[in-house]
Amino acid sequence: MHSDLVLWIVIGTALAFDFTNGFHDTANAVAPAISTRAMPPRVAVGLAATLNFVGAFLSLSVAATIATGIVNPDDVTTPIVFAGLIGAIAWNLTTWFFGLPSSSSHALIGGVVGATLAADGTSAVQFSGLLDKVVIPALVAPVLTLVVAGLAILIAYRIVGRQSPGPVTRGFRLGQWVTGSLFSLAHGTNDAQKTMGIMFLALVANGNLQASDDVPTWVVVSAATAIAAGTYVGGWRIIRTMGMRIIKMDPPQGFAAQGAGAAVILSASHVGFPLSTTHVMSGAIMGAGAAKRLSAVRWGVAGNIVVAWVLTLPAAAAVGALTYGVVYAFGENGAGPVVVSAVLLALLAAAFVRRARAQAQAERQAAEPPRDLAMET
Amino acid sequence: MRVFGEVSSSQLLEVVWVSLGAGLAITTIFSLVIRWSGSAEAARRDGRDAAAVLYAGLSVLALGVFFVGVVLGVRIMLRK
Repeated sequence: MHSDLVLWIVIGTALAFDFTNGFHDTANAVAPAISTRAMPPRVAVGLAATLNFVGAFLSLSVAATIATGIVNPDDVTTPIVFAGLIGAIAWNLTTWFFGLPSSSSHALIGGVVGATLAADGTSAVQFSGLLDKVVIPALVAPVLTLVVAGLAILIAYRIVGRQSPGPVTRGFRLGQWVTGSLFSLAHGTNDAQKTMGIMFLALVANGNLQASDDVPTWVVVSAATAIAAGTYVGGWRIIRTMGMRIIKMDPPQGFAAQGAGAAVILSASHVGFPLSTTHVMSGAIMGAGAAKRLSAVRWGVAGNIVVAWVLTLPAAAAVGALTYGVVYAFGENGAGPVVVSAVLLALLAAAFVRRARAQAQAERQAAEPPRDLAMET
Repeated sequence: MRVFGEVSSSQLLEVVWVSLGAGLAITTIFSLVIRWSGSAEAARRDGRDAAAVLYAGLSVLALGVFFVGVVLGVRIMLRK
């Protein structure tokens, strides 16, 4: 009974992570298209959400691969996965609050590594795997796309330079529909799989499934729905950062960034070296801006983003380790996950109530006439 | 030669050149679509019908190549 409760808590938490993954990463696919007015914002997030949903069904080569090669799979228990998910959600919400794009995959790996360290010590973590799957891709992705997008925009300007601006703008805006869609589809095939993997792992660990079984349809549908819903809600703070605060984009730059981003993500997948969509698109936007004029990039904003990338792994690991400590203290297979979930839900409810009150107060103030005007009447 | 753990330098190099090739190709081809369709329109306005047909044909051809690239991308997703 207790283990079933823990299982459903882990599945609920995995879907919550999937939702934050969706709204955190919406910006990667839609920010350039919204910024260049290739698509109206709601159409852009609607299209991205639909393609993320479809993408989740395209590739089911899943699944129980969370942190494979980084932590010893035999040491990963349901409470560790739960604590890792909390670490990842906490980091996703923090970076969303500050409008900073960061990798949800790296946050999840960080959370699981932190929880594993707290549970089993350093012997359960393969640090060479961390280097291979987190550090090297995090270094390669932004630099590579910066160069590719930079060269791409120079070529594009060279080719269309003497054309009249109207058709060029319209043409690249149309092209952004295709490259943005490709990027969203690639995101769906990558990121929804992680949640399916976690849910599958939890079901196997709880004895509901065998490791050789197929991923149940309800797992695929719920993971696809959660990431699509998160994408549709849209992390507007991050969209603003990527679409407007790094550079002011024109349609050729938007196309070059999206085209280079999609090409790099798919080429890396083809070679078997998966890269973070966030790192890829951030690098592409910076490259498309810097190639036109170095000062076109707001390097202060870019610096803050890089700091967030550096902090992702240790911060998510710290929260994962702390969460595992609390779960362990209250009982791994019973009260622990219940207590942590209850506290987090209470905190979330408090945050929503506070925000609703602040909004209501702002609306009241906007509706009231200025005091000196009211005095005169 | 292994750079770190499982990542080999040849794999890294392959990522770099494949990404560079694909990224530059997709932007170049789509830019050519725009340029040649613009040239076709300009030629049609000037009454140069043969040139208009030639540029329109090139533009359609480049658009076809662009969509072949898109289909290749989708195939990579399906094969993962």
